[in-house]
Amino acid sequence: MKTTKKLAILAAAGGLLLSANAAMADDIVIGMATAQSGWMQAYDAPARESALIRIDEINAAGGLLGRQISVVEADTKTDRAEGARAGLEVLDGGADMVVVSCDYDFGAPAALAAQAAGKISFFLCAESIKAGIQGVGPFSFSASVLAAVQGATMAEWAYEKKNVRSFYVLLDTWIEYNKGICDGFDWMAPSLADAEVVGRDTFVNDDASVAAQITRIRNLDPQPDAIMLCSVMPGAASVIKQLRAAGITSMILNGSAVDGSYWLDSVPGLDNFYVPVQGSIYGDDPNPAVTAFNEAYAERTGAGPSTQYTYPGYVLIDVWAKAVERAGTLDSAAVVAELEKMVDEPTLFGPRTFNSEIHHQNRGRYLISEVSGGAPHIVDEWTISEPIPLEALLK
Amino acid sequence: MTAVLQILFDALAVGSIYALGALGIALIFGVMRLVNFAHGDYIAFCVFAMLVPSTDVVAIVLIGKLPAILLIPIILLIGAVISVLSEMLVFRHLRNANPATMMICSFALGFVIQHVLLMFYSSRPKAINLWSNLSLPVEIFGARIPLLQLLTIIITFVILVALMWFLKRTRYGLEMRAAAEDFTMARMLGVRANRVIMTAFAVSGLLAASIGLILATQTGVADIRMGMPIMLVAFVATVIGGLGSLPGAVICGLLIGAASVLLQVFLPLDARPFRDAFLYSAVILCLLWRPDGIFAPRSAKQRV
Amino acid sequence: MKQPQSVLAKTISTPVILIALLVVIAILTALFGSGSFARTVTEIFIRVAFVVGLYIFIGNSGVISFGHAGFMCIGAYAAAWFTVPPMMKKVLLPGLPEIVSNAQLPFLGSLVLSSFLAALVALLVGLIMMRLAGIAASIATFAFLAVINTVYANWESVTAATSSVVGIPMVTGVWTSLFGASAAILIAYFYSISRWGLALRAARDEDIAASASGVDIYRQRLISFVISAFVCGMSGVLYAHYLGVVNPDAFYLGITFISLSMFVVGGMSSLSGAVLGVVIISAIIQILRWFEKGIDIGGLTLELPNGIQEIAIGVVMIVILVFRPAGLLGKREVLLKGWPFKRRTAD
Repeated sequence: MKTTKKLAILAAAGGLLLSANAAMADDIVIGMATAQSGWMQAYDAPARESALIRIDEINAAGGLLGRQISVVEADTKTDRAEGARAGLEVLDGGADMVVVSCDYDFGAPAALAAQAAGKISFFLCAESIKAGIQGVGPFSFSASVLAAVQGATMAEWAYEKKNVRSFYVLLDTWIEYNKGICDGFDWMAPSLADAEVVGRDTFVNDDASVAAQITRIRNLDPQPDAIMLCSVMPGAASVIKQLRAAGITSMILNGSAVDGSYWLDSVPGLDNFYVPVQGSIYGDDPNPAVTAFNEAYAERTGAGPSTQYTYPGYVLIDVWAKAVERAGTLDSAAVVAELEKMVDEPTLFGPRTFNSEIHHQNRGRYLISEVSGGAPHIVDEWTISEPIPLEALLK
Repeated sequence: MTAVLQILFDALAVGSIYALGALGIALIFGVMRLVNFAHGDYIAFCVFAMLVPSTDVVAIVLIGKLPAILLIPIILLIGAVISVLSEMLVFRHLRNANPATMMICSFALGFVIQHVLLMFYSSRPKAINLWSNLSLPVEIFGARIPLLQLLTIIITFVILVALMWFLKRTRYGLEMRAAAEDFTMARMLGVRANRVIMTAFAVSGLLAASIGLILATQTGVADIRMGMPIMLVAFVATVIGGLGSLPGAVICGLLIGAASVLLQVFLPLDARPFRDAFLYSAVILCLLWRPDGIFAPRSAKQRV
Repeated sequence: MKQPQSVLAKTISTPVILIALLVVIAILTALFGSGSFARTVTEIFIRVAFVVGLYIFIGNSGVISFGHAGFMCIGAYAAAWFTVPPMMKKVLLPGLPEIVSNAQLPFLGSLVLSSFLAALVALLVGLIMMRLAGIAASIATFAFLAVINTVYANWESVTAATSSVVGIPMVTGVWTSLFGASAAILIAYFYSISRWGLALRAARDEDIAASASGVDIYRQRLISFVISAFVCGMSGVLYAHYLGVVNPDAFYLGITFISLSMFVVGGMSSLSGAVLGVVIISAIIQILRWFEKGIDIGGLTLELPNGIQEIAIGVVMIVILVFRPAGLLGKREVLLKGWPFKRRTAD
């Protein structure tokens, strides 16, 4: 009992010691409440790094509104409650804008804290419509493109460019992102004349085997032209391996989440596999500035970007700084108003549009990356023919 | 006919992994009433042992590149060693603790293993390519199944037979069965407790390692959480099989795998995401039907 | 001749001390703590409420339950159903019945109603599952959790499936959660000294003797299951109003195991153990986190690498259990008489 009390007092006293990194008094402060440990860390860290690259660039060019930008950080430990605390901590540290964890579920608590404090928040790379007005509030934005756009992009591109007429949909019900891809696909598919969805099935990411699902596909005659797989790692690699092992050679489409070559050793010699990406990490981006960015990133971190999710971090600082510059103030409402005026605002990784209804991209230019012979490369570029309406996104 | 055979193979392929897991859990439970929640983490540990510790995204495969004849014994050994080590470092000191305490300790141990892996390898799943020609499909009476799944099924049965032989025909096995029946009595009759328990842990670790090898080959991915779902199903299978009954655990592991495949095949699309809800409801019904387990040995009857 | 003291008089100091401890922590936090520290304390209090809920069932019946996070889930989602603005609900949760989707209850109303919903579910599943004993019951509770999780993670129109439900008013602060934790402690205390609590503990320790003395074990287990589900449901409501976002994943294995660990480390058969287990383990976690961030001690900055905290807390729990297999308090309760510890006569 005595020790407990001591601990409690110690704990309370410790609270006093807490002080965020001292920033210079007239600096603009960006708060980063992202995961520095736990399993989200692998996804947050690269995007955070590229955000820092853009901040350094701005500082080197004389800063923003004539002031330097400094950064305060807090670790969300891949925990929702800890995320809310991290959000408060960076706000206590004087953050004028808060960057939150990549995933909507893990970033939302910090974003809500920012919203409550009247500050703008940006998700590093969340791809759910909720990462914005619909799930946080009018001061919240996401730097990435909606998952639904990825599904719709793959459907339309495969139909137009690869002459795909029969699709099979295989949905991993594990997380919301997967459903977002398939929802986008389902929104697009009916508008593709004489294309048909010949079957559907579901699995869960950590299923030890998808033998039954594979048998269902194999029983189809003829085999589908393309399989729309809506999944993420590690399940996606496992399913792709099992599909190919079972002798299914149909084209496989997925969302951006499986970009990168790090997992391709799982399925040596993989062919006929396509994903949409915002920029190429493979050095063959049509825009040479992207390749230059990759080199700058490699210089800073010791290795090039491992997936396209490195890029939105750069984009978010970029668009936010532009809006601040145009507003001439850090006042949240004024900056939001400027952000909402952006229509196809060019960035290094595709155009960005925000308006008073959607703080996210319901349409976006995507590069199409193909894996053939076990090696990924960019083969095409696609923008869906019309933006996905809000009603379809909210369903 | 072919369709039925295909379903049977699919069911066996899923079920045999669960069966191997259940066997590992049941062995330990038999000798010391410990539900070892760290078992799933042994599986992940064995898989990650094939890679060079690094938080880089691209995995560097080290001992995973060795020829099978070396790789398999090394990984099995690693499984046995980590399992025995956890016995010596943790569970040995808890012999007289109640089952809940031991269970929580095993969970804490698993938590530690998981976070050590996280620290050394980062959380991003890593690619491992083992014996890719095992992924080629073979055809049996018109049903096509990847060679690896066939091997998994065969390996499971070989391990089962070997284990049965070990338990029935060797002195260690006899001691282990005696200890599983009545530990105190067995000790009084000259069974050396530590040796029996260590053997059980070693065998259980071997089983975890073999699941790790099978999973790594099948999925091509090393993920820190990969052992968890198998461990949970194995745990359930052990209980509905009848705690202390090894064949019961194995059969129920197979049954759960088969049930999950059958549900996947026969449920309508809208209900398929709820597959696991049906599966676990069936588990509850099964428990109500036979609270002591389907194959409960007479000695396992529990009070309260 | 002296009248023997009543159980109440002999043991009432236990909940009083426990609540006083929490009040002290709350006051210190209010006086000295930063905003984010207040959040930490709030979360600890919510956890106290949950673990005390576990104690009501596990501590008194001796049956380990893996399922109570399911009740937390039910409570938290019910809170969302009752308090999210109707406009949002109609869009995001179109499957809700009219009467629920039109409603927007105040916090207290949602707290009571949602906790009752959790208790009601417990009554229904308990009617079936409480026939089981020992490890079979434990597995059944785990299966229950898996079913709840699968349903909530896939029932698109009512729970928004894996998508988070947002728009829950964030009203749980230090004082609200203190109220919740204190209420949980009082419910647990009065239950455990009641006729029901005594009967169930008798059945836990000597089932055959208890049966022979007329204790209906099934009925007693069911009662404690329902009460504990009520308390766990309440902690779920507090959690929902604390974070403002609910997601099925937050109420699955992670919280189950960490809460059970705190409970067992504290001492499974003791209310004080449940409370102190949470407070002590949480305090250690918090201190380790400060070390991860770097602490200045006399000009020296001590900084642990990120991720050490989880490893250390696992090791600490193992060490505590190796040295105190029955948990820090075992079966004892903190009492004012016979300070510091005395075996509780009511046991």
